[in-house]
Amino acid sequence: MTLLSHTWQFFMAHPSQVWRATVQQLYLVAIPMALAIVLAIPLTILSTRIRWLYGPVIGFANGLQTIPSLALLALMIAIGMGIGTFPAIVALLLYALMPIIRNTYVGIMGVDDGVKDAARGMGVTTWQMLWIVELPLALRVIIAGIRSALVTTIGFATLAALIGAGGLGQLIMEGMGMASNSIVLAGTIPAIILAFLGDAIMGKLENVLTPRGLKG
Amino acid sequence: MAKMLEFRQLSKKYPGTVSPAVDNFNLDVEQGELIVLIGPSGCGKTTTLRMINRLIEPSSGTLIVEGRDYRTYNAVDLRRRLGYVIQRIGLLPHLTIAENITFVLKLSGVDRTSRQKRAIELLEMVGLEPAEYLDRYPKELSGGQQQRIGVLRALAHDPDIILMDEPFGALDPLMREQLQEEFKRLQQNVAKTIIFVTHDMDEALSMADRIVLMRDGGIVQVAEPEEILRHPADEFVASFIGRFRVLRQASEVSVGEVMLTGPVTIGAHQGLAQAMELMRRRRVNTLLVRDTTKTFIGMVSQASVRHHFEAGETFKVSMIAEMPQKTLKPDDTALTAMHQMLEGNDLELIPVLNDDGKLMGLITRGSLVGLLGDALRVAAEVDPSSRSSEGAS
Ligand SMILES: Nc1ncnc2c1ncn2[C@@H]1O[C@H](COP(=O)(O)OP(=O)(O)OP(=O)(O)O)[C@@H](O)[C@H]1O
Ligand SMILES: [Mg+2]
Repeated sequence: MTLLSHTWQFFMAHPSQVWRATVQQLYLVAIPMALAIVLAIPLTILSTRIRWLYGPVIGFANGLQTIPSLALLALMIAIGMGIGTFPAIVALLLYALMPIIRNTYVGIMGVDDGVKDAARGMGVTTWQMLWIVELPLALRVIIAGIRSALVTTIGFATLAALIGAGGLGQLIMEGMGMASNSIVLAGTIPAIILAFLGDAIMGKLENVLTPRGLKG
Repeated sequence: MAKMLEFRQLSKKYPGTVSPAVDNFNLDVEQGELIVLIGPSGCGKTTTLRMINRLIEPSSGTLIVEGRDYRTYNAVDLRRRLGYVIQRIGLLPHLTIAENITFVLKLSGVDRTSRQKRAIELLEMVGLEPAEYLDRYPKELSGGQQQRIGVLRALAHDPDIILMDEPFGALDPLMREQLQEEFKRLQQNVAKTIIFVTHDMDEALSMADRIVLMRDGGIVQVAEPEEILRHPADEFVASFIGRFRVLRQASEVSVGEVMLTGPVTIGAHQGLAQAMELMRRRRVNTLLVRDTTKTFIGMVSQASVRHHFEAGETFKVSMIAEMPQKTLKPDDTALTAMHQMLEGNDLELIPVLNDDGKLMGLITRGSLVGLLGDALRVAAEVDPSSRSSEGAS
């Protein structure tokens, strides 16, 4: 209990430091996620049209995922990106690609052929096929992919402090350097809350965006 | 009448295949006609159908849709002019029934109120309560109900031509029959030009104005159902009808195969009262009389037995048994049996005897019903006037 009260004291004494770290952490999650979504979804949609593209695309994303996260960060330095927020964001972005690519592809390819055939036969254009048939029907699976990418990214983001990206990981590392468990916790607790919050929001979103006809 | 579709040497060869899937397909379809494409699996029915709405591009030949070459239509516009129903139904699961029915109307920019009105109108046409179904989702409907919606969806924009690829193929037989009936009624009101693919000969015979029988991508015969039954163009057509209707060539079937093997017989020495009782119990009006060695002696009719019985006579049945005009042997063909039945002034039954005169079985009209197609042909060959004069002589 003394540990928690010490942590609380740290929060009270350095509210701006904790707040700044949390905001930094949010950026470290939001920016790579946004970029990953913007990159992965169109690329995957393209590879559902140009099938041979999918092999290289998913192979690349899968390869990145097999690299241990720490090693990927180190790799950023090794390939000359240096340290700081930018290489961290690149690493996080690369790591988030795979679940989104995989789920987008599975979601779109999983749309029933009969439904697509009927729609085409009724005269939907290529764009309409995507927007009013394939994407709505794949949406649930795509969101699930984004959700799992988000959870990984939030976890990974705390490690980004290792290459000087700041955020809650920075706080945790400082705490460890000073052998202060309360400071470690001051970084850990918000990180955990962020992870749960992120997952909960995505779960809610998944539910809201699933058309009623597909539920149950 | 206006020609709605004109197929001109239409052919399709898929890349990487040896023989064409559709080969030199020629057909004119009149307005309001229901054309059924039928044939064995892989004969090119679906390919033909999908060339009409340009889901498949022909390799050669052309197709004239409502007077215009198919190539002069934009593919998307062409499809919106046509109705399309498939076996897999393919309702959009994330849209309500109302939205599904009026999908094409929405694509063409018809406003919401008119769409809703149309959906209600159509649901009422097939006896589905609009209030109950409009806002449901496809998965909340049974398979039969879903395909009803599939058909309504093809009617919503009031297309002149509707393409249907085994629309009732996935339904259980009872449901299929129900939807066929319903669709026939619907068709009487809307009178669309319909191209209907099936592999079910019963369905073809009951729905079609004309049947197009295909094999290996080509047309084997185009004819009205009655005509195709009476005059199959060749062995293939005959066997195809046969396969689906359990009809076989009467000339290939022996009497022994189709005869009844357990006819009601009576021993030669039995009395008239026994004969009356047997007929009552077995519900027959003719008895075959045989002796103890199964040798056939003759037949007695109910009328004759009653007549003699009421006259107080104490004859044995053998004394009033009559030899029939015709008898058959087991290895005679069913065709012979048909001819005999028709020529013999429409006999009800013919006993089948072996070379020793022993009773083997019985041919009735019922045993020949399965060979109906040929019976029609025989009936057509045996001139009715000659038959009646023969009967009178
Ligand atoms: N996309 C394709 N690529 C290559 N060959 C095809 C393709 N689609 C169909 N075929 C071939 O073309 C032929 C005709 O096929 P089609 O689907 O038109 O037959 P069908 O009469 O509809 O058969 P079924 O009764 O089984 O539905 C078949 O031999 C089939 O294997
Ligand atoms: Mg087919």
